[in-house]
Amino acid sequence: MSKLIDLRMGLFLAALFIVTVLVPIASTLDEGSAVAIPSYLIPLMGKYLCYAILAVALDLCWGYAGILSLGHGAFFALGGYAIGMHLMREIGARGVYANPDLPDFMVFLGWDELPWFWYGFDWFPFAAVMALLVPGALAFVFGWFAFRSRVSGVYLSIITQALTFALLLAFFRNEMGFGGNNGLTDFRDVLGFSLSAPSTRIALFVLTALALAACLVIAKAITVSKAGKVLVAVRDAESRTRFMGYRVENYSVFVFTVSAMMAGLAGALYVPQVGIINPGEFAPANSIEIVVWVALGGRGTLVGAAIGALVVVAVESWLTANFPDLWLFALGALFIVVVLWMPNGILGLVEKLRFRRAKAPAKTEAPA
Amino acid sequence: MLLRPYLRLLALCLAMLTPLAASAQTLDELVARLPDGSYDDRAAVVAEIAATGDPRALAVLEALLEGELEQRNSDGRIVIVGGTRRAPTGTDALTGEELGELGRRATERIRVNNSLRRTIRTAMGVMTLRDPDPARRLAAAEAALRSPAVEQLDALDAAMQAEELDYIREAQTLAHAATILASDADTETKIEAVGVIAGAPALTVQSTLNAYRAAEDPALAEAVADAIDAAERRQALWGQAQNLWFGLSLGSVLLLAAIGLAITFGVMGVINLAHGELVMLGAYTTFVVQETIRTHAPEYFGWSLAIAVPLAFLFVGAVGVAIERGIVRHLYGRPLETLLATWGVSLILQQAVRSVFGPTNREVGTPDWMSGAFQLGEMTVTWPRVAIVVFSLTVFFGLLLTMRYSAMGLQMRAVTQNRAMAANLGIRTGRVDALTFGLGAGIAGLAGVALSQIDNVSPNLGQGYIIDSFLVVVFGGVGNLWGTLAAAMSLGVANKFLEPWAGAVLGKILILIFIILFIQKRPRGLFPQRGRAAEG
Amino acid sequence: MSAQLFLDGVHRSFDGFKAINNLTLSVDKGDLRAVIGPNGAGKTTMMDIITGKTRPDGGEVLWNMSTDLTRLDEAAVANLGIGRKFQKPTVFETHSVEDNIRLALKAPRGVFATLFHRSDKAEEARVTALLDQIRLTHLRTEDAANLSHGQKQWLEIGMLLAQEPDLLLVDEPAAGMTDAETMETAELLKSIAGQRTVIVVEHDMDFVRALDCRVTVLHQGSVLAEGSLDHVSARDDVIEVYLGR
Ligand SMILES: Nc1ncnc2c1ncn2[C@@H]1O[C@H](COP(=O)(O)OP(=O)(O)OP(=O)(O)O)[C@@H](O)[C@H]1O
Ligand SMILES: [Mg+2]
Repeated sequence: MSKLIDLRMGLFLAALFIVTVLVPIASTLDEGSAVAIPSYLIPLMGKYLCYAILAVALDLCWGYAGILSLGHGAFFALGGYAIGMHLMREIGARGVYANPDLPDFMVFLGWDELPWFWYGFDWFPFAAVMALLVPGALAFVFGWFAFRSRVSGVYLSIITQALTFALLLAFFRNEMGFGGNNGLTDFRDVLGFSLSAPSTRIALFVLTALALAACLVIAKAITVSKAGKVLVAVRDAESRTRFMGYRVENYSVFVFTVSAMMAGLAGALYVPQVGIINPGEFAPANSIEIVVWVALGGRGTLVGAAIGALVVVAVESWLTANFPDLWLFALGALFIVVVLWMPNGILGLVEKLRFRRAKAPAKTEAPA
Repeated sequence: MLLRPYLRLLALCLAMLTPLAASAQTLDELVARLPDGSYDDRAAVVAEIAATGDPRALAVLEALLEGELEQRNSDGRIVIVGGTRRAPTGTDALTGEELGELGRRATERIRVNNSLRRTIRTAMGVMTLRDPDPARRLAAAEAALRSPAVEQLDALDAAMQAEELDYIREAQTLAHAATILASDADTETKIEAVGVIAGAPALTVQSTLNAYRAAEDPALAEAVADAIDAAERRQALWGQAQNLWFGLSLGSVLLLAAIGLAITFGVMGVINLAHGELVMLGAYTTFVVQETIRTHAPEYFGWSLAIAVPLAFLFVGAVGVAIERGIVRHLYGRPLETLLATWGVSLILQQAVRSVFGPTNREVGTPDWMSGAFQLGEMTVTWPRVAIVVFSLTVFFGLLLTMRYSAMGLQMRAVTQNRAMAANLGIRTGRVDALTFGLGAGIAGLAGVALSQIDNVSPNLGQGYIIDSFLVVVFGGVGNLWGTLAAAMSLGVANKFLEPWAGAVLGKILILIFIILFIQKRPRGLFPQRGRAAEG
Repeated sequence: MSAQLFLDGVHRSFDGFKAINNLTLSVDKGDLRAVIGPNGAGKTTMMDIITGKTRPDGGEVLWNMSTDLTRLDEAAVANLGIGRKFQKPTVFETHSVEDNIRLALKAPRGVFATLFHRSDKAEEARVTALLDQIRLTHLRTEDAANLSHGQKQWLEIGMLLAQEPDLLLVDEPAAGMTDAETMETAELLKSIAGQRTVIVVEHDMDFVRALDCRVTVLHQGSVLAEGSLDHVSARDDVIEVYLGR
């Protein structure tokens, strides 16, 4: 079976490695130096890498198993909330109300004790495990119901969308105990290190880069294994796979859960770097945007998904800063163009060019 | 001293009951007498003025109450004073003739005290009880019910007898009963009055009778308590009816938003995530139509919706055809791709509308004929709701008939069932696809016209409906119009019954969770399509 | 009775149309059985019921006289050792020919078993042998999507063999094959029978004759006749069913 690290994976990992080494160095350079990176840019780049992880997560279940989840933003947000809860606890008595036992928003709402589901989040390892476990458990339960009843295709997409919409409404409620509308914010430090210190920022950035590399390798390992072949088989001919004795629902639940946990990891790394998590992250539109990252990069290529995320998010930052009215036009057009003319995304185009140059017969890629 | 009000009242009633006597003195003479004598004399004159039944009297009394009625020193004319304190202007109290600037200190105010004010108010109430304008008569009766004053008892009696309109007489009867309760009538009469009030709407029963709950007379207290209990029970029952009605009207909104999808998604199998934005375009069409009418022909504003309906259908339908020809047709059989591309379309439409009309809500008016409400038993039914229910059912059945009986509907079904075969039979499948999609889009436009009446018209209008519409179509069973109807109505009603119990947001979440679970139990909805093709 | 597969009074109707009507059929271990019948007779539906795709309205399908297959889903039935080739050949188009075979090879089907699966020499040898047998060695790394209809039929037969099932349900294997290939398929199925049980559905009478086995004629969802091909084709009712209408 195929190699774990092929050419494009190797290239991407190498590039990622170089960036991870260079960015911290560049950020410690003198302000005057031409290649110096100001410290405030580091969390921004870290944020982009988080999105790349999220894209890899979605590609794993959409590109390989054909599960088009329109709710991955929800798993991302849940991971973010788990870490956000820990960061809230770390604020301690330094909040506006200087309450040592309760986060500010609970004091504001007039609560006098910590809700039970906040127990344990004082302890970082617990929060870290929850950041993976909560999205994973939700995906597992949801997937178990959905795949066992053979909900698939667009139906699955629609109910994942409904799921994230329901969570959006729920998290907006103050009574839920997650800060309602405003979410969780005003974080001070993580594990005792100030979040605004350049060194903490660099550490988080490097950690995110490592997580991205790890997710890519894990996802690749899954897809090149025999289980990965079964997933592709499920994508292309689900019932045939069943008649061969494979329990399709188990495979789908497995990949959906793993993917959700990766999304949770991305969210967990995202929150300390952007300093806030609010219910807006559950917005259905967010989840759909992830899909275009994957589609643009090249569905079913993992590396392509990461590249797609980086490209789209970078363009988004630039456009919203310079031509805010154009961004939605551009994003909308991107969806249409990718679907109609770039079914295999950027990597597909690159592949095509390479083949054309080598005068080799074009190899057909996975049909959509 | 204590007797004085009664005497005054006696005079008043006598005056009311004996029109002959009243006609003896004209309004002009009475008004001329107003400045003279003591407050008591003035009160007697006020009563007589009221008794004339002259339509001009009300304005005079009102001015007197406000302290604006004055006598001109030069000629003794009674004028209503307006304008500023520095430069008062006058109008003749009786003829309404403009007298221009009066000059300072040229007039003498006709003074009133508190007791006289009360008399004036009662007199005015009594006058309006017999006002020629039915709306004012009704208002007077309702006012009398709200603050029953013993002084009005006989006036109410007389008014009831003279009244010719049933609904006004009913209001007067209620006011009369309430006044009896407030008077010192005997228990039996009062219990009878309680019986009369018990038949009124529950809210009226409560507000009128609550004060007598603790009546000293045990028999009366009991009758009052019984009447209130019965009213509350009635109210609870009607509350359910009200919920049902709200649910059905919410269901109609869902139905409207979902019918278009039932065509594009249900019949053609196309996932159109831009559906919500097509609805939004329909709403903006209404806005544009109204703006045009407002600026060019405001007298036709009442027709604005009737004009917007066909325009929205055609315009949004054309947008739909363009989307189908430009994008969707390249993606048949690839639902996930269609979903993504149409999402792209939705973003573009949203931003386009935002660029043209701005990001804020636009004001869409409701024509007069559609505003207002009527009372049905214990519940208030507003006309816009009725209009939406009727409209959405009309669209639904219109579509049903189109699909079933028209040549176009036949071709549509043929094409969706067996494309190749239909093509061989000479049906131009491309045209049918475009028209079917256009039909679905056009109906979305119609939904937009209706939603512009109840929702904020903003570029985000569509987003609020897209998930709901999909759930309705999927819940009802894809490809089944009746299923869509049943799903929309049952979700609407369920939502409204959950709301008081769980709150609006939690209710919505519960419904979402229910549908998610339901789809997992029955992936093909309430009324699944049957046949081998459906098993895919 | 020691039938390996025993259908007992099976019913199934679709919207009031009785596709399978009181069907009773018994096949012994190691048998080769041909099932014929006009279009719409219910042959494919019968296979759907055996393999758990379609639930019957009534009746039982017994496996080794003990397990009721109608209570199991497709994967469970397959894991009992019942393999199926579809009327419309379905292979995994984006996988290479050899990966198609690999996925079919008899091996644990669990998620974690496949996740940590390492292929070994024996497995490779088995794949090579099967590819030889279905004559697709030269297309080993080609995507299955690029195969012709007949090649796909062969690949599906190869996948069926790779599963090493105890019972093979083969729906119209000869469609799209040349005459020579048809005869080869018949020979192949004959050679498999004996160790395994084979049920073949086919319209091609030459193929059925070449199988040289007991034939069951299905009509309107139930068995019309059973016996050797010569025996059943001599019966008036069978002739009428095939030619009469
Ligand atoms: N899922 C289904 N829904 C509705 N009708 C069905 C379904 N499955 C089978 N049928 C009907 O049952 C009947 C039997 O079909 P079946 O496919 O079993 O016939 P067959 O004997 O395999 O025919 P052929 O030789 O053409 O393959 C047909 O009339 C078919 O339309
Ligand atoms: Mg068949």
